Amino acid sequence: MIGRIFARPVVSLMALLMLCLAFVAGCDKGNNNSSQTNSNSNSSAPPANPNAVEVLLLYGSEKQSWIDDVTPTFNASNAKLANGKVIHVSTTPMGSGESKDALLSGHTQATLWSPASGVFVQLGNAQSQIKGQPLIGPTKELVLSPVVIAMWKPMAQALGWPGKAIGWADVIALAKNPDGWAAYGHKEFGRLKFGHTHPEFSNSGLISILAEAYAGAGKVRGLTTDDLAKPEVGQYMADVEQSIVHYGSSTGFFGKRLIQDGPQYLSAAVLYENMVIESYSQQTSVPLVAIYPKEGTIWSDHPIGIVQRPWVSDEQKEAGQIFIDYLRAPAQQQKALQYGFRPAEGSLGAPLDAAHGVDPAQPQTVLELPSAAVIDATIQLWKKNKKHSDIALIFDKSGSMNDDNKIGSAKKGAIALVNMLAPEDSVTFIPFSTEVTVMDPVVLGTGKEELINHINMMVADGNTHLFQAIKLAKDKLMARRDPKRIQAIVVLTDGEDNGNDVSLSQLLDQLQVIEEDDASIRVFTIGYGNSAKLDDLKRISKATQAQEYQGNPDNILSVFRDIATFF
Amino acid sequence: MQCPHCHQENQDGAQFCRVCGKPLGAFDGGAGLIKRALVVIGLLLALLAAAGLWFVFHGNAANPAASGNQSSSAQSTSPVPASTLVKLGVAYGTEKEAWFTWAVQEFAKTPEGSGIHIDLKPMGSIEAANAIVRNDAAIQVWSPASSLYKTILLRNWKAGHADTDPLLKETILASTPMVFVMWQERYDAFVQHYQELNFRTIGQAINEPAGWKTIAEKPDWYFFKFSHTNPSQSNSGLTALVLMGYDHFGKTSGLDAGDITNPDFQTWLQSIEKNLQGAASGLVPSTGTLMTSMIQRGWSTYDCVLVYEANAIERLDQAGGRWGPLRVVYPPYNMWNDNPYYVLNVAWSSPEQRRAADAFGQFLLSPAAQRQAAAHGFRPASQLVGTGDPDSPWVKYTAVGIQRQVPGTFCDPPNPEVMENLLLAWQRSQSAK
Repeated sequence: MIGRIFARPVVSLMALLMLCLAFVAGCDKGNNNSSQTNSNSNSSAPPANPNAVEVLLLYGSEKQSWIDDVTPTFNASNAKLANGKVIHVSTTPMGSGESKDALLSGHTQATLWSPASGVFVQLGNAQSQIKGQPLIGPTKELVLSPVVIAMWKPMAQALGWPGKAIGWADVIALAKNPDGWAAYGHKEFGRLKFGHTHPEFSNSGLISILAEAYAGAGKVRGLTTDDLAKPEVGQYMADVEQSIVHYGSSTGFFGKRLIQDGPQYLSAAVLYENMVIESYSQQTSVPLVAIYPKEGTIWSDHPIGIVQRPWVSDEQKEAGQIFIDYLRAPAQQQKALQYGFRPAEGSLGAPLDAAHGVDPAQPQTVLELPSAAVIDATIQLWKKNKKHSDIALIFDKSGSMNDDNKIGSAKKGAIALVNMLAPEDSVTFIPFSTEVTVMDPVVLGTGKEELINHINMMVADGNTHLFQAIKLAKDKLMARRDPKRIQAIVVLTDGEDNGNDVSLSQLLDQLQVIEEDDASIRVFTIGYGNSAKLDDLKRISKATQAQEYQGNPDNILSVFRDIATFF
Repeated sequence: MQCPHCHQENQDGAQFCRVCGKPLGAFDGGAGLIKRALVVIGLLLALLAAAGLWFVFHGNAANPAASGNQSSSAQSTSPVPASTLVKLGVAYGTEKEAWFTWAVQEFAKTPEGSGIHIDLKPMGSIEAANAIVRNDAAIQVWSPASSLYKTILLRNWKAGHADTDPLLKETILASTPMVFVMWQERYDAFVQHYQELNFRTIGQAINEPAGWKTIAEKPDWYFFKFSHTNPSQSNSGLTALVLMGYDHFGKTSGLDAGDITNPDFQTWLQSIEKNLQGAASGLVPSTGTLMTSMIQRGWSTYDCVLVYEANAIERLDQAGGRWGPLRVVYPPYNMWNDNPYYVLNVAWSSPEQRRAADAFGQFLLSPAAQRQAAAHGFRPASQLVGTGDPDSPWVKYTAVGIQRQVPGTFCDPPNPEVMENLLLAWQRSQSAK
């Protein structure tokens, strides 16, 4: 090895060497500007740079456990750009549809985007291309997981699993059968209670309705807008959707509730294979198994790419690529396998096995992913044929809501909820303080403006008779009980109940899920501000298998939007 | 012209031998190279001696660095500042991704490569050509899978750039033929029914109304799922259309516009292309990505794909660890893909970048890089690197169908008019869905 002390003669030597090599290869060579001759010199890092490059990864929440595991390790490694700046990655999990909209609107200025599926990349790029550029550049898969019907093992066995190939048509036939599980010799299972997420916000929900459309059209490929225009396809979809308990923005939420609340909550849900595997790390009354629909399913392929927007600097692009390479490296890919994902690179193994309710040799076939135009048309068809809702909106207008203008922000959130519901949905507005006012239900197709006016005209004053308001709301909904509609209560309060009519325990007794006739009224609670008694609200929502939220003027809009995805 | 290796006759102008696949004429074999290398080594030894003498007589007085720390670890050397690096954009087909990624890392460690920053841009071959015609200033080197699209690039370039030739230099890096890759179990069932795997039997299978239920009494397998890459973006997709043309007409040269516009051929082509797996949402734009997708998604998504032999070789082991064994079959009508390396002669390419491009190209022809190419399944251009070693892919994977001597017949690249007509026919098939 020639050191720098030979620099001058070695430069001449190197120049001559280049000329010689040119003679051998038959081409000219230029000067070599390098004064280095140490072959390791390019791998030595430049001096540490105090500045860091921030990278925000916006990603589908399905892979949160894995991302939360591997990202701190990356940050701790002090990975650097070529110019020496340290890379720091922060991550935000979000439903795929919501993340697409957040990027398109510029509300979230992420460097990297990784939705659950390439379907959302297709949609996002198509919507962005209208303005002249794609939303995201070329993508690579991080991990894969097929969409499956997650079902309790005894129920799957009642359908013939594992010996018989089961498909969407079997589940749909069960959903439409008025005798429910009794038709399969298991009256004790009751009716089929099915769940999938909201297709505009969540990948698995979108795949569910595509599968319904394919099944309704009697196809597994070549779905067209002409198919979707056929009345029988819409009717087929409507029949399936009648078995839905509620929607939601997050597949992860469904998975967690399914595992936590057991068969009484849902018989089956459209989830990802990795969630079935994950269920085996928790205690369930009976095991879950993955049904790979025989007609085909769709892969959730978790693509990742660099966002194509002006807010992404060249340094962030470089940093983003380094983080992508890290996530796809063998060590991180093996970790993904431990979380139940099929790695993008490398072999498969445990826990992807029968002991965890899954089959690595499945799926046998896929449904063909249609064009963006057909996907959009399927969403519109679903909106017409989805299970519609009767919502009781309980709104705290006690005097404390004047503080910090909480009532102003809460009104905006409530109006956002109303605007996200369908024309066929109805809202019973119940403002309360010392008095509880139960207004007549308003069908949004005809009475939305009037309802919004009532919301806007509220004035905060008085005490907080919360429990009485909830009881009255429940009574009102029960009087109009319709198993073909989702019935739910959304209650916002900034304080604790100080009425005398109904105690918490009395209210909880009345709110408990009634399994036999399936009249489940779920209560979604929003504890608004610091004075809300969150424990009480949590007990109320838990008793009805719903969801509680902690709201404040900054997040109240997104809280109401998330609640809207359940309907 | 006669092949210098197997002595079989080939057409004038051919770059690879039809029989043994080795390069013709572009490389004079190892002998000339070795002679010249020996001359250089002698010169180098003489120069080293001269340098030593200079040091003895002149010492270190003029070199301030020499009075500093002289640790043998040479930590006193500093990396080239980013601002002085020559940046080189290399648009290349993803079939070479693993090989080129290795090459960039190793090249950076060499004296020639230390001042160069290579930005690898994986792109479909045609996608990259179109980007060059659109004056994409990020690209200084184009390395598609084959020179098939070169004539179209030149013609499209001249349409907007007067009389300039955008290609300064062309070097052939390595070769690879086309192959069908199929899951072994499904291949066995397929040939039991159809006897042979070729474009005609693929056409029959893809249009079988009851799919695998009829082909093999396997209703759970549903439809026969075949695919190739997007012909408007990727060389292998365009090659698929060319080979379908040759297969349909049973010839190996002279595919003309009359053949492509023949109604029977158009009907047959459409019947396959509109039923390709992925046709609705968009065919995969590059060959490496298609092969990767087959391994990731298995038989659920693809029963059979048409890719480069190198892609198949690279993924054979991984397939077994995910789904099951693969089978490789050479189409009876085939084409060589010569993986050319073009240094661009364009307005946005500086002299430094062209020299850098040349340096990297030379590195790719070095024995080490050529051995790496072979390890990744490419038949090396260098005669110093063979394909007959026991650990070479062409020996290791014979059980799954890989062969050193490629069977079948090799076809000539058609003229640009034929290729454009094929693309038009394909585009019509997509809108006819």
